[in-house]
Amino acid sequence: MQQNYEVAVIGAGHAGCEAANATAKMGFKTLLLTINFNNIAFMPCNPSIGGPGKGTLVREVDALGGLIGRNTDRCHLQMRALNTQKGPAVQALRAQADKQFYQQSMQNYLEVQPLITIRQGEVIALEQLTDHWRLTLSTGIRYEVGAVVIATGTFLRGQVHIGSLKFPSGPQGQHPAIAFGENLEAQGVKFKRFKTGTPARVRKRSLNFNAMVEQPGDRLDHGFSFWLPWEQREPVSCWLTYTNQKTHELIRKNLHLAPMYCGAITGTGTRYCPAIENKVVNFPQRERHQVFIEPEGLTTDEMYVAGLSSSLPEEIQDQFLRTVPGLEAVEIVRPGYAIEYDVIGPEQLLTSLQIRGWLGVFCAGQINGTSGYEEAAAQGIIAGINAGLYLRGETPFVLQRNEAYIGVLIDDLVTKENDEPYRIMTSRAEFRLSLRQDNADLRLTDYGHRFNLLSAEEYDRFQKKRENITKKMAFLADHHLSPGSAEAQRLQDKTGIKIQQKTSLKQLLRKPEMKTAELWALFAPEQGSPLEDEVVENQIKYEGYLDREAKMAARLAKMEEKKLPDDIDYNLVPNLSSEAREKLKRFQPETLGQAGRISGISPADLSTLLIWITRGKRDE
Amino acid sequence: MSETETIAAISTPPGEGGIGIIRISGDQALAVGAKILRQRSGNPVTTWPERKVRLGYVVTAEDDPIDEVIYFYFKKNRSYTGEDVLEIQGHGGYQNLKRILSTILQAGARAAEPGEFTQRAFLNGRLDLAQAEAVIDLIRSRTDLAQRIALNQLRGSLSGVIKEQEDKLLALLVPVEGALDFPEDEIPDLERSKAQKELQAIRSNVANLLAGAERGIILRDAATVVIAGRPNVGKSSLLNQLLGEERAIVTPIPGTTRDFVSEIIDLEGVPIRLVDTAGVRASVDPVEKAGVEKAYRLMAEADLILVIFDAATPLTTEDRELITFLAEKQPIIVLNKTDLPVKLPTSFFQTALPGAKIRSISALTGEGIPALKAEIRQAIMGTGGSEEQPVLVTRIRHQEALKEALGLLDLVAQGLEEQLSEDLLAVNLRAALEALGRITGRSVSDEIIKEIFSQFCIGK
Repeated sequence: MQQNYEVAVIGAGHAGCEAANATAKMGFKTLLLTINFNNIAFMPCNPSIGGPGKGTLVREVDALGGLIGRNTDRCHLQMRALNTQKGPAVQALRAQADKQFYQQSMQNYLEVQPLITIRQGEVIALEQLTDHWRLTLSTGIRYEVGAVVIATGTFLRGQVHIGSLKFPSGPQGQHPAIAFGENLEAQGVKFKRFKTGTPARVRKRSLNFNAMVEQPGDRLDHGFSFWLPWEQREPVSCWLTYTNQKTHELIRKNLHLAPMYCGAITGTGTRYCPAIENKVVNFPQRERHQVFIEPEGLTTDEMYVAGLSSSLPEEIQDQFLRTVPGLEAVEIVRPGYAIEYDVIGPEQLLTSLQIRGWLGVFCAGQINGTSGYEEAAAQGIIAGINAGLYLRGETPFVLQRNEAYIGVLIDDLVTKENDEPYRIMTSRAEFRLSLRQDNADLRLTDYGHRFNLLSAEEYDRFQKKRENITKKMAFLADHHLSPGSAEAQRLQDKTGIKIQQKTSLKQLLRKPEMKTAELWALFAPEQGSPLEDEVVENQIKYEGYLDREAKMAARLAKMEEKKLPDDIDYNLVPNLSSEAREKLKRFQPETLGQAGRISGISPADLSTLLIWITRGKRDE
Repeated sequence: MSETETIAAISTPPGEGGIGIIRISGDQALAVGAKILRQRSGNPVTTWPERKVRLGYVVTAEDDPIDEVIYFYFKKNRSYTGEDVLEIQGHGGYQNLKRILSTILQAGARAAEPGEFTQRAFLNGRLDLAQAEAVIDLIRSRTDLAQRIALNQLRGSLSGVIKEQEDKLLALLVPVEGALDFPEDEIPDLERSKAQKELQAIRSNVANLLAGAERGIILRDAATVVIAGRPNVGKSSLLNQLLGEERAIVTPIPGTTRDFVSEIIDLEGVPIRLVDTAGVRASVDPVEKAGVEKAYRLMAEADLILVIFDAATPLTTEDRELITFLAEKQPIIVLNKTDLPVKLPTSFFQTALPGAKIRSISALTGEGIPALKAEIRQAIMGTGGSEEQPVLVTRIRHQEALKEALGLLDLVAQGLEEQLSEDLLAVNLRAALEALGRITGRSVSDEIIKEIFSQFCIGK
């Protein structure tokens, strides 16, 4: 039995769902395969979405027409605004999501998309036919498709460790994809092994919240999504407690039982979500570490123990949990564990997220070496768009580093040697002030519209917003206050600011203490929408800095435009340093700009390269 | 296509030729040109005919003339780089060209990176292949050489000092960046007064480096020393003595040296361009007259003047004119022909040019030459002894980078005072680090992240 689809997406996690949605919106008949139909958009770790960098990724995916922002808004238990005192470039939302509701809501959405077919099944083989691909499931079912997105998360040859216990497994006891890893490897895909982990889940009724500090959510006037009307709910609290010396002693004493320290795990772990074992070893001087107790959902008694990720034997986990105030009588629902899985290296990925040499096969999410739902979603939507563009025979969609965190993320993935799961951070973005959460739609929604990922009504709304912002900017620049005028007096009465010379409202807004809303209240009859005002205010207050970033971006743009053909034989290029030659052979950058970001490649090497490609053209 | 930054650089190698070329390339080339160039009449330049040689002046922001120059304009797509290019030819003294370049940089251009003109030419598809390869080879060999010089002569002390400042800046930046990226982890808040103190220490180190830059640039790029005097006092013989071999044509007939002989010598590691001039005297011969005028101009632009007098003959009118001209120039007075009976006492010069250094030599026998060389070296380099080798900034590009870093550090200092938000403090600190990184070649972006994780326990 055989069926045909235009696109197959392997894996229905945060990357896979976005990819399938994108290809379907672009008009392609899409097959979404999942190893377990009950676990679509499953959050195997912290039920939390957003934060600095990550929150901007969510906004960016949303601006393109993706799902993660809308679904988080629908399913949040609490939402917090972070870094509000530290400047607009790093302000971020972070949500606690209701895990089960998140899955249910995503499944409901995808199931009603006419072009998406969700199917439970384990892919065991992918093979190339003349101009398309054949997928085989473990049950023998075959599909022929034009393009494929592989989004296997931690399932690909997943191996779980709890103390000395180890067994092949996907996350949280799900069936792993062993045969598929072997199939890809046999066809030449080179994998390395990464490791990640998660803490125990505990029973709410076994906890004593009196010994903890309540962490309530904020009351906000907006969520992640540019498109959904925001609905403030009664926030569900998280709880803060701390480890102590007793906890640390217990862990130190049992370190020999930890798979990471006794050599059982060979995969590389991450510095971002270290196991408590690592924290205790790496920061011996610390007297305590934070532990956040977070709700997993409204319909479950399970709670997440953030900060105590561990792969020690369950008995030891149980013992050290009990040393933490509020957890003295703790009951574990499921133990923490570490999981190792297959990851594809940067040298095999193109910026389109296609596997080098595998026409029409794209990868997204943890298989590319990232960590995090937000990073996965960001790659998922790009891989989906590029699968669609591939089928149309069009050039891939590549976001630049100055356009989006998504661009930074993918560029880093293909130019940097990553030896641990990659997490986005604001410090990775050199255009941080331009890449804010407030302007993600202004940066990206035109693209989303071009690929048909947004409804006409949504795009109209966006255009209206953009017009309003332009109008407001113009109003502020053109509206002047003269000394002694009635308006100047009104300003002075209200704020104490005295107008000494003719001053535009724009100049006034540059004052750190001045807020747009205040100016509207004083001088404009119409009140502005807070989301529009946020953009206007940031654009004006940070104008000088934004200009500087724009200049820097223009300088880099020409290097990005210069394509490097993929058939360059770097052995033939004279005068390259040997380090540069090795790196270029390994990474095969697609543009001169990318080549420049590979460590060990000097400006002289770039010039040499430039000559070489020029020569190539003349010879033709 | 987006606007590209306008860049400028001295295009002729230092210490060669009587003229030097500065190129400005980019969309703003003419805008920059209009700010710094004046017509011979002193009026602003308003028209820019393509590929036409025009004569004019380069002026400072205060409209003071720096140099008489010729300039050409090459239109976009018909220039070396493919962008609007303004080429300015000034007089060859490096100090002079450097002054012109700083004026251009103040007027809004950016100092070009090595090979950047060639790179733009490539990107715009403007360069013949063979030519291009030659240029890149040249740039590569020169950068390599410069790096070797930096290593050998300065024993890496410059990059050592800068790396120290980078480390200190990184230490300031890491907690700020860490707190921005991980607001829910326990990273201590920025203590602004403490940060201000640390910042000021870094700032003053960078400022010191910059103050030494003038001297350092001489170290790398020959200072111009002009040999002047009336005809037949032994200028060419002195040049030959300093060069250590017969170079200039030496004859007893006055007025032989009508063109200018220029040679580079190495005075114990200090490169010096020696320029021999025509003898200074009143003449009706138009060619010789031009030569004399040029000699005076060269003296005006020189980093140092060696003025020679014939100790065996009394002062002439020409000698006296020269002395008047030199009143404020701090020349080295060289009394030649001490092998003959001395008719000109040193005491005369002590009153006529107080403060001037006086050396007696015999260009014929070589007597007094080593002492004169030491005097020249000291005049160029100052009195800093060789034992206490100061850290010198040797390239104008480095100087630019330090200036930029200093400006950014000042912004950070101001920001710390004025409660500027931490995202902007971080941006300025990073930019300062990147400016310093252009000297040391260090890229800090990954280091920041590494440091955040080694200093703070992050993550749930």
